[in-house]
Amino acid sequence: MTDSIHQRLESLPESSLTTHVLGALDYIVPGEWQNIVRFDQMIQSVTGDSDEALTQQVGEKAIALWFDESLGYQRAAQVFQWVDSGSTVAGAAALANMAGTRFEVLSFLTDVTPKSDTTQSIDAAVKLAAELTAFCLSNGFPGDSVGDFASSLVNAGKEEKMRLAAWVALDCVLPLGPDFLRKVMDAVHAVEESELANHRVFRLIADHLPGDIGAKKNLLLGNIESAGGYLNGFANEQGVTQGSIQQRIGEYIDIADDKLDLAAAAIDLSTNYFEHTGIQTVARRVIGRAYAEI
Amino acid sequence: MQFLALALAALLLFSACKKEPLSTRWDQAAATASANAASPPSAAPTSTVVKTHGDDLNKFFPADGVDGMKRVFTDESKKGTSIAKLTKDGKEVATLAINDALEDTAALKKFESSTEKVAGYPVVKVGGNQTAALVRARYQVKVSSPTLDHEARKTWVQKFDLAGINKLAEGK
Repeated sequence: MTDSIHQRLESLPESSLTTHVLGALDYIVPGEWQNIVRFDQMIQSVTGDSDEALTQQVGEKAIALWFDESLGYQRAAQVFQWVDSGSTVAGAAALANMAGTRFEVLSFLTDVTPKSDTTQSIDAAVKLAAELTAFCLSNGFPGDSVGDFASSLVNAGKEEKMRLAAWVALDCVLPLGPDFLRKVMDAVHAVEESELANHRVFRLIADHLPGDIGAKKNLLLGNIESAGGYLNGFANEQGVTQGSIQQRIGEYIDIADDKLDLAAAAIDLSTNYFEHTGIQTVARRVIGRAYAEI
Repeated sequence: MQFLALALAALLLFSACKKEPLSTRWDQAAATASANAASPPSAAPTSTVVKTHGDDLNKFFPADGVDGMKRVFTDESKKGTSIAKLTKDGKEVATLAINDALEDTAALKKFESSTEKVAGYPVVKVGGNQTAALVRARYQVKVSSPTLDHEARKTWVQKFDLAGINKLAEGK
């Protein structure tokens, strides 16, 4: 039996390394994100109404909508969870690779794990494709609605905006530097279709992206291209630099100046911000629909 | 590797934090909804009319730019309901929705106690922050906002193409 959305939301931690890292990134999107892990609090955040009877009514309707599989909310939540279940392992591979190069502790892994910049770039592109997929599922759009997704980013708020900020900071700028967009584009251009097809997260979300593997790869590129301008501008305007991230995250994780890629891989390995904020996004959306339907 | 050890130590530290027990007030609703999803009620539908698709409702919303408001659809292409947000200077002002409440007796019943009308359609307040009108005894037109009062929300209800909704063909 599938867990209800209220159980999914309330199973999220009030305090974890993920919530602390997200809290440290608040400077990028001031005040946008609160770690709401109670279903009644999320309902009241959506409605702005503290009436208990109304809260109960909206909650019951939201749960009924969650279990209506044709509306796509369960699949959207699944996509957010897949991102972190896959990237945890990818993070371990990158970490092993860097350790092999630098410390020669695990040097036998150097031959079988990809170079960290490439791994990181592909992971970043796939995560943005997952965000696109969840967006399309939540809105009822076809899976290739890249233009709608790109234009929606400007209006993203709350958990969505926090997740985008974390993606820009932790998956792009910290490991890849200010030139992240070009690196990600180059990596997606260069990746073999068979390699992409076997990517731990991509192969999970691939069913939601239309076309054959070539079309899916082009979709990945088109998605980065369409959203890239906004995301690059977002990073610049909000002062997202390796130095600023290092300073804020450094409160929770010790980051050495010359080991930013190692830090990014360790954060990827030990946090699940996509899943955490993704469940919150889906809860907010299904509650919003319930409020429209009661 | 010292770095990784620190990261993982931090993870263990934070993982140890306790939280409140899960709420139980929605467990019954979840059990019912889950059971219905697993084996839908076998009774034949009471009519062959289907809920209007969101794509067919979007054209009845107030246009983008009315009163200097930006209109952004957020849930617009699924059966039965379409939702858009109104924003001004990047701040959310209200949420607009049209919902096909076909055969949703709980949703329709609240209009029986309506004491006021907008453009001839019954209107009710839902909680403190939502105003709903019922068109053709079937379509709920809703404006929700914690900052606009009931009267202001009624004004926005009138900006929908209510006459257009009233003419929606059966079965659309």
